[in-house]
Amino acid sequence: MVTGGATGIGRAIALKLADKGASVMIADINEEAAEKTAAEVRDISGNSATFVTDVTNVAACEGLAQATIENLGSADFLVNNAGVAGSAGWQSRSHSTEEDWKQTYQVNVIGMSNVTSVFKPQMTKRRSGRIVNLASIAGREGRPSLAHYSASKAAVISLTQSTALELARFNITVNAICPGLLWTPMWEQVGDRYAHDNPAFKGMNPREVFDSMIAERIPMQKEQTPEDIADTVAFFVSDDAKNITGQALNVDGGFFMR
Amino acid sequence: MDFEGKTAVVTGGARGIGRGIALELAQRGSNVVIADMDGDAARDVVAEIKAGGTQSYFCETDVTQQWSTDDMVEVAIEEFGQLDVLVNNAGVGGAPGFTTRKVPTVEDWQATFDVNVFGIVNATQSVESYMVERGYGKIVNIASIAGRGGRPGFATYGASKAAAINVSQAWAYKLAPHGVNVNTVCPGLIWTPLWESIGEWRSSTDQQSSGLTPRQIFQRTVAESVPLGREQTVEDVGKAVAFLASDRARSITGQALNVDGGIRQN
Repeated sequence: MVTGGATGIGRAIALKLADKGASVMIADINEEAAEKTAAEVRDISGNSATFVTDVTNVAACEGLAQATIENLGSADFLVNNAGVAGSAGWQSRSHSTEEDWKQTYQVNVIGMSNVTSVFKPQMTKRRSGRIVNLASIAGREGRPSLAHYSASKAAVISLTQSTALELARFNITVNAICPGLLWTPMWEQVGDRYAHDNPAFKGMNPREVFDSMIAERIPMQKEQTPEDIADTVAFFVSDDAKNITGQALNVDGGFFMR
Repeated sequence: MDFEGKTAVVTGGARGIGRGIALELAQRGSNVVIADMDGDAARDVVAEIKAGGTQSYFCETDVTQQWSTDDMVEVAIEEFGQLDVLVNNAGVGGAPGFTTRKVPTVEDWQATFDVNVFGIVNATQSVESYMVERGYGKIVNIASIAGRGGRPGFATYGASKAAAINVSQAWAYKLAPHGVNVNTVCPGLIWTPLWESIGEWRSSTDQQSSGLTPRQIFQRTVAESVPLGREQTVEDVGKAVAFLASDRARSITGQALNVDGGIRQN
């Protein structure tokens, strides 16, 4: 089960897990895109379903858990990928508003907790399960800009650790992945914002901001891809990682080393 | 398979975790050079790998000597035509006889740093120009969760493993623009010859552990400290190394991954 599985990183994760043989439930707020990705998954592994889900809505999450069991059986793996960087229009504001703080926490943190809660019973009952949470390198260290987003992703790492300790006795592992710089619709907005509020990027278009961040901050000197993240998710949910839990792994070309 | 046609060198590959790593890489298609001081144990691993269908070769290696790791790299390239993966696994808990000493001596500190830190530096220095020139290489260093935070009792080992993590980061930065990834695995509680000697050491120096066998001390430690409630295995470490050394981890560098059942979060 992949939240935010219709597009971007979530879609790459869904396709990768399908490639390894998994049936995939695509939970997304965008029904049309979810159906499209589900069709791609069916072409690969034969089985997929979708459920229109707003992770901030507990009733919708309960519906999702139920729909997963009905369509595909109990979930073996839960990938909490859905995330936002602010409330509508955040990228054109120079300062975070209260709405930005609320929206990032609602989706990135409370939404993750909602989804995890409704899938817990399926996993604890079977005494097995894998949960992978998508955080961000923004959660590894404070930054002068986008404090609300960084703080929400730091909370994701902390939530991952708490959940790992809570569920370890049920043989359920919980790990986080911190993606680095990926050219996604979200980063296009980040680039927009940086061009507005950081003099170093003045006059640049979002892609130029992105490229100059890579040149300055990524030791490997290249951007990361949804495929990179998907490969790491596939590792964490595999038997190879059965004794790894409570970890956050940066997939970031060396941006932050821990 | 991730390592079809590739060559790996595993230092300390004759026993314990190193042997587990060597066998795991071999199972995934790699030819493996076993770099170790213990020829008899190494030859057994070589035979086991060959029986599995890939090639293997023993190279007598003392990682504390630069000339010896130079030789190790040369031999690997000569034998198999290329070197793709270096796993710096060789490690010690102190100078010979450390299990009987309550307080580590200067020799214990020296031996621990000679092997656990300078061993990584030597082998990495031996291979880096080759990997940079080729624009491809994977280095995985074996540290320990003991390197994640200081603890009383085994400060020598913990400090050396913290240094190993730091050294990995330094080379990760240096080699990142050249297509070479450097990462670290931090094993948790694994029943190996090294842990057996740690158990002996606790049994002879720690009142709470006297009268217990090393294995009993190990099991008690697992029960007390592992959230997942079970010991980790050499296979677990082998599989984490295999991931980090594969192209699936192409965008991961400078990271240390705990394989410890949740003992320490990172």
